[in-house]
Amino acid sequence: MTPLDLLSDYTIQTVVLGAGLLGVASGVLGSFAVLRRQSLLGDALSHAALPGICLGFLVAGARELGSILLGALASGTAAALLMLLLTRKSRLKTDAGLGVVLSVFFALGTVLLTRIQGTGGAAQAGLDSFLFGQAAAILRGDLPVMGAITAVALALVILLWKELKLVCFDPLFAASLGLPVVVLEVLLTMMIALAVVVGLQMVGVVLMAAMIVAPAVAARQWSRRLEGMVLLAAAFGVVGGITGAVLSAAGSGLATGPLIVLSVSLIVLVSLLLAPERGLLWEMARHWRNRRQVRTAQVLATLHRLAEAHEDPAYPSEQGTIEAYYGGAMGRVLRRLESRGLVRAVSHPPETTLHWQLTAAGLAEAERGLDGPSRRGAD
Amino acid sequence: MTKPNPEPPVAHRDDRRASPSLAARLRAILGAPGPGPARDGELHEPRLALHVEDLTVSYHGDPVLWDIDLDIPPGVMAAIVGPNGAGKSTLIKAVLGLVRPAAGHIRIHGRPYRAQRRRVGYVPQRSSVDWDFPTTVLDLVTMGLYGQLGWLRWPGRTERAKALEALDLVGLRDLAGRQISQLSGGQQQRAFLARALVQQADVYFLDEPMAGVDATTERAIVEILRRLRDAGKTVIVVHHDLQTVRTYFDWLLILNVRVIAQGPVAEVYTAEHLRRAYGGQIALLDPEALLGPAPSAGGVR
Repeated sequence: MTPLDLLSDYTIQTVVLGAGLLGVASGVLGSFAVLRRQSLLGDALSHAALPGICLGFLVAGARELGSILLGALASGTAAALLMLLLTRKSRLKTDAGLGVVLSVFFALGTVLLTRIQGTGGAAQAGLDSFLFGQAAAILRGDLPVMGAITAVALALVILLWKELKLVCFDPLFAASLGLPVVVLEVLLTMMIALAVVVGLQMVGVVLMAAMIVAPAVAARQWSRRLEGMVLLAAAFGVVGGITGAVLSAAGSGLATGPLIVLSVSLIVLVSLLLAPERGLLWEMARHWRNRRQVRTAQVLATLHRLAEAHEDPAYPSEQGTIEAYYGGAMGRVLRRLESRGLVRAVSHPPETTLHWQLTAAGLAEAERGLDGPSRRGAD
Repeated sequence: MTKPNPEPPVAHRDDRRASPSLAARLRAILGAPGPGPARDGELHEPRLALHVEDLTVSYHGDPVLWDIDLDIPPGVMAAIVGPNGAGKSTLIKAVLGLVRPAAGHIRIHGRPYRAQRRRVGYVPQRSSVDWDFPTTVLDLVTMGLYGQLGWLRWPGRTERAKALEALDLVGLRDLAGRQISQLSGGQQQRAFLARALVQQADVYFLDEPMAGVDATTERAIVEILRRLRDAGKTVIVVHHDLQTVRTYFDWLLILNVRVIAQGPVAEVYTAEHLRRAYGGQIALLDPEALLGPAPSAGGVR
């Protein structure tokens, strides 16, 4: 298939639209989860959705998306509230509470799933695609359901923007202003459950957590304000979601969820490495620049000390002396000093090797350097 | 002014009403407002900036604050001091409704906190938030206006102007557009103070505003707080440094689960009170510096 064929393909269109909705919902709501240090909440909520999916199927008697997603939302919310209750009322820590709830609900869901599969029947076909996701299983009729859920979540985020922001950043201060912090936290958790529900069919319960966390983490690398982070997370979610879903639906036969997660992870990797100010490479470059600056200043100081020792400001120091002192090639450092007009190369017969002499500017700079670190930024 | 209260409170409050109706007793149990002398709508001790009576707060069954009675008049700069675990932060949180008291009532200028939110400014401990949150200094300060803005409204030009004005006061205007993760500790604290200043309150509560900041920032903060007091505001500060209490403050509350002493600094700051609050720990501090003649820098009016 050529790319053009792909786009006109009916199934692919459906998949692209679905993946786009998923990317927006999980990117936007994932940003709040990550900033509240609740990255694992998405994991718990998605695993906890499995029993609800099965119950929704049993109640409807068929693979009907509406009732399945309603079931998923209900059991996800129940799990979230249970978690809140556990950590507030018992002395269980949050991570332990998450772990307990996640495994209990997932176990329950797996039991129900195998029970349904045991009864056989054509109707249960496609239910196991909720484990690892299957983009091709999405029907055109599923899109309005996914779209409506995404729209509700987005509308709430826009309407409650400043309140959600404050509750994520400084819940104590938010409470002092009279904001209903607990209500907002529960609402946010339910909205994350909504985002999970949107992605269930495509990504599956097992890997859905990655869709909540990954776009937000990548976006955080590039943005300075919450507005930017949320928009960028949505964009990353859409790109990653569509890439993975199209790869899967275009006939590779691979499960969609893992492919989506891998494409989003690629974005995360690039962001962690390259993002300005926060990226690893950026850090390394800054470190290297600092080292070079320090080394240059050191060499200048050494030349100055040598000149002082010989009581001759214009004393020509042999390059070999400097290199013996630092234990390595210093040609590049000296050339850099030369290009800044701080030293000049001179010959010192009968020796044929290179010698270096402080210029007037170099002398002044070296003396300034003795008073403290130079205020000059770059060399 | 000292009110030692060594005995646990006995059930005396119900005696005020001859025979409380079932409904009244239920309301008392459920904590709902009902008719009575301390009803929400009515003024109670309106001449005090802060009035706390019979306050007890407990975490997991252990009392953190026990039977606190305290009064702070308006227009003073008050310090709350006490050893670690004395309940200083908890007291502020109880006043601001952030923790639920087991007993007691609290009034700010005569009314409960719920009714006086607009008149109160709050600076939480600097370490209570994640400074890597993606937001700018101006954004942070604007958050102080979210309560007045109300639901569904976004901060606009007016809010921006107010926030910039507050940043001017704390000397951070040049950093308005900077990401908060790039601030030094002292700058973080000043940004937090600016967020409280935009609240334009009558009573300010600050939790350890001088903890871990440089000397310049500390002087700047004290200067701003003094100006607030001189404008008739009440400033209540959880403070950790006994050395500076007499220089900075004119009112003092010494706390250690119970109220050890309260009143004007000159009367309350005594070896006896400090020893009762800090016990053996006071020996570790320098008694000369703590109890010698008050420094002359003029904190007491």
